[in-house]
Amino acid sequence: MNIEETSSLEHDILSPLIQRSISFLKDDLEIDVISENIDIISPKKVKLKKNTAMLGTGGSVQVLITMGYDDKLLDKVVEAFLEGEEVEEDELEEIQESVSCEVVNTIVGNALKNPLDGTTLGITPPILISEAKSLFKQKSSHIAAATIKTEFGEMLLTAVGPKELFSDTLNFKEL
Amino acid sequence: MLNILVVDDSLIIRKNIKKYITNLGHSIAGEAKNGTMAIEKCKELKPDLITMDITMPDMDGITAVKKIREFNTKSNIIMITSHGQEEMVVSSLKAGAQGYLLKPINEEKLSQAIGNIYEEYTEDLDDELLDDDLLDD
Repeated sequence: MNIEETSSLEHDILSPLIQRSISFLKDDLEIDVISENIDIISPKKVKLKKNTAMLGTGGSVQVLITMGYDDKLLDKVVEAFLEGEEVEEDELEEIQESVSCEVVNTIVGNALKNPLDGTTLGITPPILISEAKSLFKQKSSHIAAATIKTEFGEMLLTAVGPKELFSDTLNFKEL
Repeated sequence: MLNILVVDDSLIIRKNIKKYITNLGHSIAGEAKNGTMAIEKCKELKPDLITMDITMPDMDGITAVKKIREFNTKSNIIMITSHGQEEMVVSSLKAGAQGYLLKPINEEKLSQAIGNIYEEYTEDLDDELLDDDLLDD
């Protein structure tokens, strides 16, 4: 994994999320990942995927995490969750939304712990972002992003942290 | 056969858990999308077992278990969560749950967890039947 710009948001939040996402896709959903060598970038702007779910971490480390999918990848993820069961057309959209949210909940819960003390990092129930287009970095925020390429399209992960949680060297501050 | 209440805010998880429960030969008592609904359903349905998600809107699973234990000590409860940290397991057990399952859930994992509870459940039933027999005698 290449980490071009290092900070706690990249190392402590996004890096474990990438590793768990790759293992989740490969081992739990049996979806091939094209390359496990993932670049983490710290952009000023991120264009979100149409199918994106988001949740926040709580307590002393407050970060927003989004996870978005290309259409074909979401279809395959939903198919894997349904385990061969067929669903009615009118139920499909609700199932897709539910799966998007469930994946981000499972991966974040499995992967993250509080970088300050190793304890459980509380997470909010996930929500779906339906109309959002882009994330923009503000003065007080920091964005880290990574794209995982699979045989069915891309998964985009982003983490957004408020600047006041970080020291001058972008390490988490003790509050 | 156990009568099971499924509590989770995720439609796909409720759907899959209900399928696993049916495949394993148990019955669905009902389902709930959050902790508040779970408390109402638990009062109404008196299930043998509850599968309880932890992270839910309105009322989280650990708070719901604490409130359920104020009026119901008989239903067994398996917590279902994505958190693997030990402190979350301890919090769940302290709240009154008997088991803990880490997401992602599959039929085998659920079967093992229910199997453990089912053994205890049948042992409890055997004890109750034995007590009844002794009383009859």
